[in-house]
Amino acid sequence: MAYRIDPEKNEIKALKQVTNWRNKRVLEIGCGNGRLTRRLARLGAHIHAIDPNADLIKRAREALPNSYASRIRFNVGKSTKLSHPNEVFDVVLFAWSL
Amino acid sequence: MVHALREACRVLKGDGLLIDLRPAPVHRHVGISENGTYVKVGVMREFLSDDRSANGAVAEMINSRRLRLKMRTRFECIRTMDQLSDFKARLDELVQLGKGSSHDWLLRRMKETLASRASDQRSRRRKIIMRGPMDLRVLIKTE
Repeated sequence: MAYRIDPEKNEIKALKQVTNWRNKRVLEIGCGNGRLTRRLARLGAHIHAIDPNADLIKRAREALPNSYASRIRFNVGKSTKLSHPNEVFDVVLFAWSL
Repeated sequence: MVHALREACRVLKGDGLLIDLRPAPVHRHVGISENGTYVKVGVMREFLSDDRSANGAVAEMINSRRLRLKMRTRFECIRTMDQLSDFKARLDELVQLGKGSSHDWLLRRMKETLASRASDQRSRRRKIIMRGPMDLRVLIKTE
């Protein structure tokens, strides 16, 4: 791969210390191509991941393994106008996006 | 940014966690990693005002007691690139996103450093490295 972010996986190591992610309902804001989303799904989280960039969301969907398909949903969306009802997520993660 | 944080609080359950993960507002170091050694080539000159504004927005949410800081930590995060063209793409992206001015000087220096090292030894394990700390803040919804 030509360009890799955090090959040492220090981000996910730090996030693992924050909470038990199993079965947590997570909103990830600024998911990009889904790099971190897939790593969180591996920890057992159910994630709705949004990003304003439609191209990146398309790439994230293409790279989504079948094994995570039931746990991850990718959508184009903005942090300032969320379409979700009140009080539905256990965790909101701003991933390089605040 | 405060508006985004308020929206996040709206969709969070009571006692839910808001996690803010992003590069720390410091300039990234750039170098070459090869056969277990690291050679520093330069320090980037990104614009850091957005990061400082984000820190201010988080502080405002804490001061208004919508969020409470549970923990914060800082750790190293690297980005690796195989080719000079990959590095150039990252630098171009910085300009496109308005997060920095042209880094042609750094690209030139990287090119020269790569050329000088190529004459000494060729290694397929050589990588261009961009390194800098990440900040992780964990906040709890309080209202």
